[in-house]
Amino acid sequence: MLWVDKYRPKSLDKVIVHEEIAQNLKKLVTEQDCPHLLFYGPSGSGKKTLIMALLKQIYGASAEKVKVENRAWKVDAGSRTIDLELTTLSSTNHVELTPSDAGFQDRYIVQEIIKEMAKNRPIDTKGKKGYKVLVLNEVDKLSREAQHSLRRTMEKYSSSCRLILCCNSSSKVTEAIKSRCLNVRINAPSHEEIVKVLEFVAKKESLQLPHGFAARIAEKSNRSLRRAILSLETCRVQNYPFTDNQVISPMDWEEYVAEISTDMMREQSPKCLFQVRGKVYELLLNCIPPEVILKRLLHELLKKLDSELKLEVCHWAAYYEHRMRLGQKAIFHIEAFVAKFMSIYKNFLITTFG
Amino acid sequence: MSDIRKWFMKAHEKGNGNAPKPPTSSTADAKETSSVKSEQASEDLETAATRKKTSKYFAKEKAKAKEEKGVEELPAKRKLKTDSDDVGKPRPRKAVKVDDDDDDDFEVPSVRKTRDNSTPSKKLKSGSGRGIASKTVDNDEDDDGEDAQEKDTPVKSGGRGRGGRAASGASTGGRGGGGRGRGGFMNFGERKDPPHKGEKEVPEGSPDCLAGLTFVISGTLDSLEREEAEDLIKRHGGRVTGSVSKKTTYLLCDEDIGGKKSEKAKELGTKFLTEDGLFDLIRSSKPSKKSLPESTNKTTEKVSAKPKISPQKEGARGKALAKSSPKKVPTPSSPAKGKKKTIETSLPWTEKYRPKAPNEIVGNQSMVTDLHKWLSHWHDQFGGTGSKGKGKKSSDTNAKKAVLLSGTPGIGKTTSAKLVSKMLGFQAVEVNASDSRGKANSNIAKGIGGSNANAVKELVNNEAIASNIDRSKHPKTVLIMDEVDGMSAGDRGGVADLIASIKISKIPIICICNDRYSQKLKSLVNYCLPLNYRKPTKQQMAKRLTYIAKAEGLEVNDIALEELAERVNGDIRSAVNQLQYMSLSMSVIKYDDIRQRLLSSAKDEDISPFTAVDKLFGYNGGKLRMDERIDLSMSDFDLVPLLIQENYANYRPSSAGNDEAKRMELLARAAESIADGDIINVQIRRHRQWQLSLSSCVASCILPASLMHGSRVPLEQGEKNYNRFGGWLGKNSTAGKNRRLLEDLHVHVLASRESSSGRETLRVDYLPLLLNRLTSPLQTLPKDEAVSEVVEFMNSYSISQEDYDTIMELAKFKGRANPLEGVPPAVKTALTKKYKETSKTRMVRAADMVQLPGVKKAPKKRIAAMLEPNVESLRDEDGEPLAENEEENESDAEDSEEATNGENLESNLKNLNARGIQVEVDLKGAGSSSGTRKTAGKGRGRGKAADAPAEKKATGRGAGAKRKR
Repeated sequence: MLWVDKYRPKSLDKVIVHEEIAQNLKKLVTEQDCPHLLFYGPSGSGKKTLIMALLKQIYGASAEKVKVENRAWKVDAGSRTIDLELTTLSSTNHVELTPSDAGFQDRYIVQEIIKEMAKNRPIDTKGKKGYKVLVLNEVDKLSREAQHSLRRTMEKYSSSCRLILCCNSSSKVTEAIKSRCLNVRINAPSHEEIVKVLEFVAKKESLQLPHGFAARIAEKSNRSLRRAILSLETCRVQNYPFTDNQVISPMDWEEYVAEISTDMMREQSPKCLFQVRGKVYELLLNCIPPEVILKRLLHELLKKLDSELKLEVCHWAAYYEHRMRLGQKAIFHIEAFVAKFMSIYKNFLITTFG
Repeated sequence: MSDIRKWFMKAHEKGNGNAPKPPTSSTADAKETSSVKSEQASEDLETAATRKKTSKYFAKEKAKAKEEKGVEELPAKRKLKTDSDDVGKPRPRKAVKVDDDDDDDFEVPSVRKTRDNSTPSKKLKSGSGRGIASKTVDNDEDDDGEDAQEKDTPVKSGGRGRGGRAASGASTGGRGGGGRGRGGFMNFGERKDPPHKGEKEVPEGSPDCLAGLTFVISGTLDSLEREEAEDLIKRHGGRVTGSVSKKTTYLLCDEDIGGKKSEKAKELGTKFLTEDGLFDLIRSSKPSKKSLPESTNKTTEKVSAKPKISPQKEGARGKALAKSSPKKVPTPSSPAKGKKKTIETSLPWTEKYRPKAPNEIVGNQSMVTDLHKWLSHWHDQFGGTGSKGKGKKSSDTNAKKAVLLSGTPGIGKTTSAKLVSKMLGFQAVEVNASDSRGKANSNIAKGIGGSNANAVKELVNNEAIASNIDRSKHPKTVLIMDEVDGMSAGDRGGVADLIASIKISKIPIICICNDRYSQKLKSLVNYCLPLNYRKPTKQQMAKRLTYIAKAEGLEVNDIALEELAERVNGDIRSAVNQLQYMSLSMSVIKYDDIRQRLLSSAKDEDISPFTAVDKLFGYNGGKLRMDERIDLSMSDFDLVPLLIQENYANYRPSSAGNDEAKRMELLARAAESIADGDIINVQIRRHRQWQLSLSSCVASCILPASLMHGSRVPLEQGEKNYNRFGGWLGKNSTAGKNRRLLEDLHVHVLASRESSSGRETLRVDYLPLLLNRLTSPLQTLPKDEAVSEVVEFMNSYSISQEDYDTIMELAKFKGRANPLEGVPPAVKTALTKKYKETSKTRMVRAADMVQLPGVKKAPKKRIAAMLEPNVESLRDEDGEPLAENEEENESDAEDSEEATNGENLESNLKNLNARGIQVEVDLKGAGSSSGTRKTAGKGRGRGKAADAPAEKKATGRGAGAKRKR
């Protein structure tokens, strides 16, 4: 088993990083009725871990007994019926799913599943909680319609069903939903915290972890705890005992994006654009989300760029990322960004160096 | 004055001068050095530019050294002709001058230049000097020239020599500079753009100056598109055919490309003619207006030429007609005149000139004969006794009781059916779409008085009508079911009923349809003898049209009618209609009239997305009218944008010239516009805002194309200079496939309960480490140890072998080492073996993966049912987890026993898995519930049940696996 999963805190008491939040959550569910919750924060900060621990806190061990189902729904949408299929993770008391996987039909999923859960309201025996929990992942990727339909159902069935929403960016969640939830921001752990966790893991695995090395991993991890632990293990696989200046190999796709950025800096021509397109396709084929590609690409470019261009390039990256969300064919937008960058950079080179 | 190009693109009337210059001149510099002729260096700049073009071809030619035969022949001829060149020189120039006077508005210097270039000897002399010389107009000389022309052979060949020199070097390869590939899927051969496209003035001659001459065009011409050239020839009364034959007067080609046509031409001794030669030929006819005798001469010549052609035509016309032609001869003159007198033109011509005898039918004579044969033998085969059984036995080739005529509209299917039946003395009963043709109902007793279908039934059944009475006297009947593919919702069961009718029929049935392959007629085809009507050739049609025109007193020349025939695309009915319409306004119809009239209708032809993209991005992309652009980009609403997106980077925008920064900027703008198009497209598709389709078309096609249009340049070494097919579709589907595979992996990992991360996290963060854990032991550790480690790891995360492959697939990047590189195949096989072994004992994991079979219907209840029992069982378990664990272990033992006992069980389970019924039993002590085991038991039960049809399952599984890939 991977260390990330092995040393994942299973209960709110064992949480190392967001101790305060964990305690608050514990109080929340033990002392009073749990409100709807919205967890948001960057990836690798521990949202999911907290949610799982919270569920365990509410329902006890049964929350861990989950099963994976491929569920299908038949939704009657006026004149036609829509067939939907989605993977859900459910225990007796909670259902977890990622409605955005259903694409633009996510609305129906949201409506259906909540109604369904509300119908199967568990009988309140022996002081068990009288509600079920629905965990929705990637709420920020839900379409506007889905979010709108969510807010009504949230209220209507709130007696029997609690929602725990989880997303990276709360800005993509409508105000209406935010105001109906208790917002919990999960910060990315600081470098020190990451180092602390890494040392904890190393101790458990009885490894010698030089402090400098741990710090470097933490730095490289971009403040994502998950990534930090994963790369610690990667390094362990590659080379042990650790040395202070051991190479921390980047992710395969990161390397590839870096390659693209080098290409873009080196040559600004249609030919290069064409090659970049091929490489971006390659990344997309390997299921790297386009937003991640664009973000990483910008990151890599900023490393090498002259400072006067940084602002402009950032602006355009944001511009095209926004458009990418509006659109459908991500490659077009990434390519537009690449072309834009090349055009800007070429002009810059010509004006500065003649 | 009518420049030909005016016809094609009205939009760029101004642009002659500025249009296609940049690319050629850019390439010219490089090529100049290789110019052979030193004397040319002394020439002035104007001509130099064009000469460079030609000289570059020489260079290319040398480099290629490809046209050994042709080229060797050419120079020889050329040399012979140089002398005659000098004689001919002044003449064409003056002709040109005449042109100039006529069209002042086109008097752009560059035009003159190019025109000068088109004259043969410009190479040797400075263009400016000639320009001056050509200011005088000399009628006499012109006449001389014309005479010379008429004498033809020597001069013409001379003309050819000249032209050959002017551009003979223009080998196809040398066009690279200006030529953009006409990309295309199915494009047969690659035809380049003319190198000097639009640079030459197209002469205007007397309308019939080429009458009686037959041309074949081969290869690329110097400045004209092939269509333009054809048009030019036809406008002047010439005939253009597709292949070289004895009747071919000239082979119009720019340089000897050594193709089949030129070989054949050489063999037959056909004369070669270059584009310039052609221009000369036309120009020389020009002054005919001024010199009357000359023109009369011409007309006589034309008149005399005509009869000459006709036999040719006769020969060229389909062989099918050949046998019927003798009968045909008398028809044209006598009945036509008679008709004209009797019937005043109130009738539509289509009715009036509907063929009266089978051999009058245009084209498809073999079909008509077949039909005739079938119908005449019908009663011998089936009708004699009326019993179909006997008929079927005796028949061999004509075994079908019905016939199905198919073909495009207006080619005479109905007419031939009627005529043939009439000729054989059958009485035709026609049922067409205007009649209700539903299934016969019970009112059949009503007979003919009932519904139409019943009448048909009656007719078909009742021999009394047809044959009971003396056959020789009473007409036999034939049923013509017209437009059978039009049997629609209203005619419920129509086709089936028709088939039934055919089966019992005592009379022949002729079915007629347009599309034989229509889904509706699929069953019908089996009961019919299929006769496929083809479109008649234009010559065949022209002949008939000529006859009609003559009968109506219209004056139309053959070429014009052929053009008409071509334009209507084989539909003779429509051609006749057009002709009648035109006859209302004019009594003399010329080629131009027909062109003009049918210009709009010709536009509706299908444009392939490739041609559309070609045109949009092409040189003249900027000169297209907006509506043309919209038409082009709308020709395929989905595909054209993708093609544009795929190829826009390949174009060097002519507006940017050599400015790379500008080009990049345009590229960025185009890319942004394409992205805009995507956003609009989302609005259209997702929110059904179809009113935005025009905006989408503008954003995703027209804007990028207008920004980028220019010449296409290949971006990669060895890339063909065609437009590529849009890559997005393929990539998207592969990405989708990979996403599904990843989802599978994700579900498995989730089911292992070790991780609850999202799918994307799994890919972005986990995958590299997973890969590492799965491969690096194989590369470093000894075989057995490595294998067991990897398998153990796989088990802990429920990673199946398919998932293993998925991981390898996803981690692969082009240009990177394969993650499994360096792993000896022995290890791989050991891994597979080991995995299979352990999978036997581990029996997969947990009822975590419940995939309901046939979940599509009412899944809610079932899921609810599954959720419910768990509640209780879990509660129980909470009390005594230890005991539960023991039980668990026991059951494990049981499981493994069972596995060894019933060999098939596990494979069956697997089969079930593959079929999408994933039932997995937990082996892990970590605490599974009795509830889960219940489901597991269920699964096992199913597995046993499936024992019997194991074989079948296995195949099913194979298929499933394939689909997964």
